[in-house]
Formats: sequence, structure tokens, C-alpha cells
Amino acid sequence: MRIPSLLPVLALLIFGCSSFPKSSELPVGKFERIPLIGKFTAERTRLENGLTLVIVQDHSSPTFAYQTWFKVGSRNETPGYTGLAHLFEHMMFKGTKNMKDGEFDRILESAGAEGNNAFTSRDYTAYVQELPIDAFDLISRVEADRMVNLIIDDQAFKTEREVVQNERRFRMENSADGLMYQEIFGLAFTQHPYKWPVIGYPEDLERMSAVEARAFYTTHYAPNLATVVVVGDVEPNQVLATVKKNYGPLPPSAEAPPVSPITSEPPQKSPKHKTLKLNIQVEKLMMGYRIPEATHPDAAAVSVVRSLLAGGKSSRLHRALVDTGISSGVDCYDIDDRDPSLFIIASNLQKGHKAAQAESVILRELSRLTAQVVSAQELERSRNIMNFAFYDDMGSSMEKANFIGRYSTIAGSFEKGLEIFGLSQKVTGEDVKRVAALYLRPANRSVIIGAPKGTIPAPVAQSAGGGP
Amino acid sequence: MIHQHRLSALMGVLLLSANANAIEIAFERDDTLPIIHMNVAIKTGSVSDPEGQYGITNFVGEMLLRGTRSRNKEQIDLELDQMGARIAIETRAEALIVRGSVLSGEIGPFLKLLTDLITQPSFPEQEVRKLKAEIVSQLLEERSSDASLSQKAFASFLFGSHPYGKPVDGNISDVEKITKERALAHFDRLFRDKQMVVIGSGDVGEAQIREWANALALARPGDVIVPKVTPPQAPAKRRLLIVDKPDRTQTQIDAGLVGVRMTDKNFFPLYLANHAYGGASFSARLTVEIRVKRGWSYGAYSYFKHGRQPRFWQYHLYPAAKYTPEALGHSITMLEKLHQEGISPDEFTFNQKSLVKSAGFMYNTPKKRIENALLERTLDLPDGFIKSFGPNLTKVTLDEVNAAAREFFDPAKLSITVLGTAKDLRDALIKNAGINPEDVKVMPYDAN
Repeated sequence: MRIPSLLPVLALLIFGCSSFPKSSELPVGKFERIPLIGKFTAERTRLENGLTLVIVQDHSSPTFAYQTWFKVGSRNETPGYTGLAHLFEHMMFKGTKNMKDGEFDRILESAGAEGNNAFTSRDYTAYVQELPIDAFDLISRVEADRMVNLIIDDQAFKTEREVVQNERRFRMENSADGLMYQEIFGLAFTQHPYKWPVIGYPEDLERMSAVEARAFYTTHYAPNLATVVVVGDVEPNQVLATVKKNYGPLPPSAEAPPVSPITSEPPQKSPKHKTLKLNIQVEKLMMGYRIPEATHPDAAAVSVVRSLLAGGKSSRLHRALVDTGISSGVDCYDIDDRDPSLFIIASNLQKGHKAAQAESVILRELSRLTAQVVSAQELERSRNIMNFAFYDDMGSSMEKANFIGRYSTIAGSFEKGLEIFGLSQKVTGEDVKRVAALYLRPANRSVIIGAPKGTIPAPVAQSAGGGP
Repeated sequence: MIHQHRLSALMGVLLLSANANAIEIAFERDDTLPIIHMNVAIKTGSVSDPEGQYGITNFVGEMLLRGTRSRNKEQIDLELDQMGARIAIETRAEALIVRGSVLSGEIGPFLKLLTDLITQPSFPEQEVRKLKAEIVSQLLEERSSDASLSQKAFASFLFGSHPYGKPVDGNISDVEKITKERALAHFDRLFRDKQMVVIGSGDVGEAQIREWANALALARPGDVIVPKVTPPQAPAKRRLLIVDKPDRTQTQIDAGLVGVRMTDKNFFPLYLANHAYGGASFSARLTVEIRVKRGWSYGAYSYFKHGRQPRFWQYHLYPAAKYTPEALGHSITMLEKLHQEGISPDEFTFNQKSLVKSAGFMYNTPKKRIENALLERTLDLPDGFIKSFGPNLTKVTLDEVNAAAREFFDPAKLSITVLGTAKDLRDALIKNAGINPEDVKVMPYDAN
């Protein structure tokens, strides 16, 4: 990411379990029409070289969002070279065979581009812009150009590596929350690439050179590995014609990217704890529970659990932690990654209270969730909160494009996101009880406590449920 | 009383205005998604906090959600969640905004609840105590955020005792002194129909919103009784404040000047000059010199912050600690160049074209148009002011830009804050920033 948040979008939506077409099964040059949301419909097709194209018409303003999503993130890195996917994303704004260094930004800004940026996650990398409608051919041409014609200069790589080291200082070294986020993945995962931070370790960044970046580019950037999403004041046939003109001549990658040597993570059998001494003045707590991948059949119920626990001010953890004066805030995230990931509960303590106390309260609330079936009224509240968030998060062209690109990339199609949202509205109290017992059990947790330097943290909280 | 008439339909915005004694309304019908956003803004914010009660406007706003004559906090929370609705408070220097959003099918009960919160708050003692404890803890927690601490320190350093220097959420000692009586009295001063603005968009008819706003206005007649904010005094010389925090491997540099009003004749020329120096552009001088060429800082940018009176122009860098003195020195040299030489014809052409072409993105969605209307109404700007950026920037000339830059960007009056580890940086900062040691202050990061 060049300026905004590196941390992955902590979406409220998750995936379902039905199967959807692989990109190679999409019709070439013909559109599939798929209802998206409200009055919006998506149209999807594929070029002969394998590029997937999704278009949504929205004629409310003479502008459009243009996003290019690649199926590569930190999960595709290897130990010793962590952070390469993100550092490479920075290099994509350098020169190409047809554009000098800096020209990409200058051309787009001259055309009135808004939000010309990029971001990298564990599973994907995306390049995003919004533009006035007269710049459609331009953006399509320059994006196609940098997909295959990038020049990775040694000196530019070294300078950009220093920029990324500074980004790391900003997001991790000098940020209590950033450090805890890094550490919770490091604690919860022992084998899988999700254990290392997307931004990488400083010593790994220092070790990298333009040589690795060039190899990464060749392996992971090609039309058959990308999805282009266009949302705005466009006409699908014209978009397809322009995209064909600019991307059509690009060759697909000669061979599929090597299957990443990703080791599945062994089950967690006992809780893990780590305390970080930080420059903070109130304690902080972050708990991570191992949950299944975004496309798992239980994902919808997990998302409902998240909403029940911290979806609104009447939620269980808000009541138990904030209204009682223990914490000043609490949040939950069910991270929708391609592989099994984490359900995170984060809370900032109030003055004079200890993180271990909040952990005990959370364990008690989770135990309650596994012991009793949630009432129909509480379940309905939770569904309403999720329903609202679904629409609220899809208001702009960029947000719609983000939804389509993200789910197309990590789940194979955006319909999965839609389907899982539908499934979440049908989750029952018994479903909630079952998944809470399965995934939010005490032994499945990893806990990071942020404690002010010079203080002694309280003893580790014991599970209310009496063992793992 | 409310008296409305249609003023204009601008990009789909239905503007309903009012006579001199009534609530103002702007609402845009948008039926593309089944959702509605409604904001009720009071046209004064933290600048109305009395001396010794900093943070009370924000406190009053938050207390609206914690009890009315007919509902306690638990009932309010349950009702909102049951509807799938959100209500949150945003406090600015010159606005207090009650922000609400709801699924369109629930608009009726939602508006009833909103009216109750705004017109019948009860400020329960227990909730006053709880909110004070939460805010104090949040202020303590904020000390872990270097960027936030630095920004607050910069505003306080630049404006001194002027209301623009106050933190909107207050400080710990003042928040701890807030009482129910003081909060109620402050509520009574602020929430009057002549100072209320209702702005929203979504899938609901205009008549329903008008009827609701009318009832709201009738319940809180009157005008706000708070002192007018006077223009701030610009510091006379270059000064440096080091916010001392241990173990920093990276610093936060905030440097700037007292700004201009958006209605100032030099506003659009300065807006263009700022864009060339450090605006939201990867081609701007600061980004190119500090980040692209040298890799010193991940971010390097500048911007204006606006108010009814001149607020500030500021640039922000966050370099590695080891590069901080050089980065600060170089940024000041660049500002001196901008002040003396202005921008080149090529820079002018590029930046003008870029700004004019992208101006449509300032108002291309209902959400953005709501924010524009909020800004225009709370800062007393003309209706459609934000939409005028493109046409106004088109008229600006290079000579106007450079004349304004010579007048405004005076590096000799720069106020600079650096959040970092003082013992490692102080001497090098003094040297690189060209500052007299007597114009340097060091303040512990947890002093306030």
C-alpha cells in the first residue's frame, strides 16, 4: 500500500460453500449477468488470454472505478523473503518500457485520477483508481502496460525498500496496535505463511534485491492471473472492446505459478500467551481464535457470532466490558482469508484495569455462548446489524469494485460473498452454539497482552469452561 | 418554527432552506440502496467549550446516547441494534454532528428515537460517571498513537490559548471535572433550532423528513448563546516544540502556519500552490523529494484545515529517526523556495489540470454531497461552494498563485512540532531547522 492502511480490510461479509465457475470456465467474450445488490447488476466475461473482467453500470456520475486484482499476497512468499509481495506492489508505480519513472502517476493525475493507490494482503494485491469517464482508454492502456512491461531498476528498488522500512516503522515498530496485530499472527501460526506480517520482517526486507522482485513479477503478474473490475458510468460492450484492445495482445503466463509450498497449520491444543511491554498507559488485549477459511460452510455462522459479541452497543462483549467500566472499547473481526485464519477480539482497558480481567470476562461470555442457545430476538438484532453493514459497505463505486475484486480473488467469484451474506441471515441459534463451541474454545486461543513498560501484568486468565 | 422552500436541485441534491429563525434542511433522495443517512449538526463545536471545561461539547454529544426521559442507555442500544441502525457523535471545532444511518424500512421508528435523543436527554448521573471514565481512558490510550499526539501538540503550539488550539475531546483534568449540571447547561446553550442543520440522503420521501425536522425545530426553539470566535494571531517567528517520547525509531513532523478562510481572495491560488508543494499527489514536491528520491519518509504531504476563521496550513512527514533532522531541514529549504520563487509554469499547468479534472470527485456520491453540505452549512460557506472548486481553479493564473505564495508561505513564521526522542534529536533539529535555542521547547508526551 502506498499511503492508506496496509492491514487487510476486516470485512463484515464472508463466504459460502457452494461451487462456482473457475475463471477458465467463464465464457470468452460473452457476458454473464449476475445481480449484485439493490438495483445493480454485474456483467462478467473473460478474454482469450485468461483475463477476467467484471463490469457494473452506475450512471449516477460521469466517473468510474477501475481495479486490478492479482491472486498473490504474503502467503506466496518464502521464509527469508517476507514482505516481497508488498514491496513489489510499490515497484509497480515505477517506470515501464513505455513510461519513465513517475510518468504513470503523472499521466493519471493529469487525467483527474482520484485515489490512485494499491494494497497488499495475505492473499491478494490490488491496484485501484477512480477517473472521469473520458479516461477509460487511458487507464486501461497504462494498467495493461505495467502488467507486463515493468522495469525493475536496482537503485529504485533500494530507495523503495527504504520507504517500506519506514512504512514498517509507522505501522508496526511505533504502533502498539500494529505490533500486537503482527504478534497475534506470529503466536497463533507456527507453519503457515500467515504467521509473518504482510509488510515483512526488517532483516528480510534488507536482504532483498531487484533480482527477487523481477522473478516475483514474472511468476505472479500476467493477464490470466488477474481480475479487472470496472464500476461506473460505462457501457459493457465499449468497456470490453477497449480492454480487448489493450490487454488482448498480452500473453498469458507460460505456466501456472508454482503451487506454493504452503503447509497446513496443525490444530492448536492449548492456549498461548505473550506479553509485550509497550509505551502505553492503559493495558491492551488481543485474542485470536483459529477459524476456518472464508469459503468454509461454517463461515456464515462465525460471522453471526462476531456480530453477537461486538456488533453493536447492545452486544454481549460491549455490555460485559464497556458498560461495566472494565474496557473503553471492544471489537471483533472474523478475518476472511483464503486459508484458515483468525477470529480476533481486541479491547483497550480502562485506567486501573488489567487485560487479564478482560480476558476472563471474554472467556466467561464465550462459555455462555456455547452453553445456551441465543434467543430469537438477539439473533434478529444481530442479523439486522449485518444487513445494515452489508448495504452501507457497498455505497460507492470503489466499494462495490472492492467487494467484487476481493471475493473473486480469494474465493473464485463474488457470488460467494453474496451467497454467504444470504446464509448469514438464516443462521440459527443452534448453529451459533455449535460453531462457538467448535472454534471459540479456550484451548484454541492465542493472547497478546500489551502492558505499559514498568508494570507487572496480572496472571494469565483461566478458562471459565474448565479446560480446553 | 420552520419555513421551507426549494432553493435548487444540485446534482440531485434537494436543498430545502429556511427563514432567518428556522432549522435548515438539505436532503437528497437516493433509492439505489435501501439505506438512509441522516445528520443533525449544531453549528458550533469545541470552540464553545468554556475555559476549564475543555471537552464538554463532545461530552454532551456522547451523553445524548446515554439516556432520555423515557429511555435508559440499555434501551437505546437495544432499539438501535434491533433496527440495524447506527447513531454516532462527531465533534469538530465548529460543529457537533449527530450522525445516524438506518435501513430504509425502519426510518419511522428511527426518526422518533432520534428526536427523543436530541430533545429529551436526561444526563443520568451514573452515565456521566461512566462516560468520564471511558473518555479519560481513551485519552490515555491515545498516548500510544504518535500521529494523533503530534497533531494535537501542533494545533496547541500554533494557536496557543485560541479556541482552535483546544483538543475537541478535552484533556484529562477538565473531563474529570465535568458534572451533570454543567453538561445540561451546555446542552441547553447549544441545541437550539436556529443553530441546527439537518442533512441527509437515502431512500425516503422528502415530506417525511420535512415533517420530522419541523417537530425537531419546535421542540428546541431559540438561538445559541456562545461567544464568537475571533481570528487567531499568527506567531511572529519560527519556533520548535519537541514532544519527547522514549524509544522512537520514527518521528512525526508537523509544521505549518495560521491559514486562510476558504472565502479569502487568495484561497484558490493557495490551494493550487499547496497541491504543487505537497498536495494529494505523487508528483508533488514533498513526495518526490522526501519519499521518492531519498526514501526518508513513507508519507510526506501538506494541506489546509478550514474554519470560520483562518485555521492552519500544515505539512506532515514521518521519517525514520535517523533521517529526521535532514528531512526537516530539507522541507524548510523547499518551503523557502516556494516562498521566494513560487511554482514553475509547467507545475502550474500540470496541477491546475489535475485539480480541475478531478474536481468532480468532490461531489460524485450522495455521501460526499452530504459532507459538502455539512461543511458549507457549519462554516457559513455559500451553498454549492465545494462544487465551485473546478470553475474557480480554472480561473486562477500563475501570477496569482506565485503572488499568494510569496505572501503566505513565510518560513520565518513556521511553527514546528517533532514527536521523537529528544535526547537523540534536539541539537541536530535546532541546527537543521535554523532555530534559536531559546525558541525551542521540549514537552513530555504525557504532559496533558
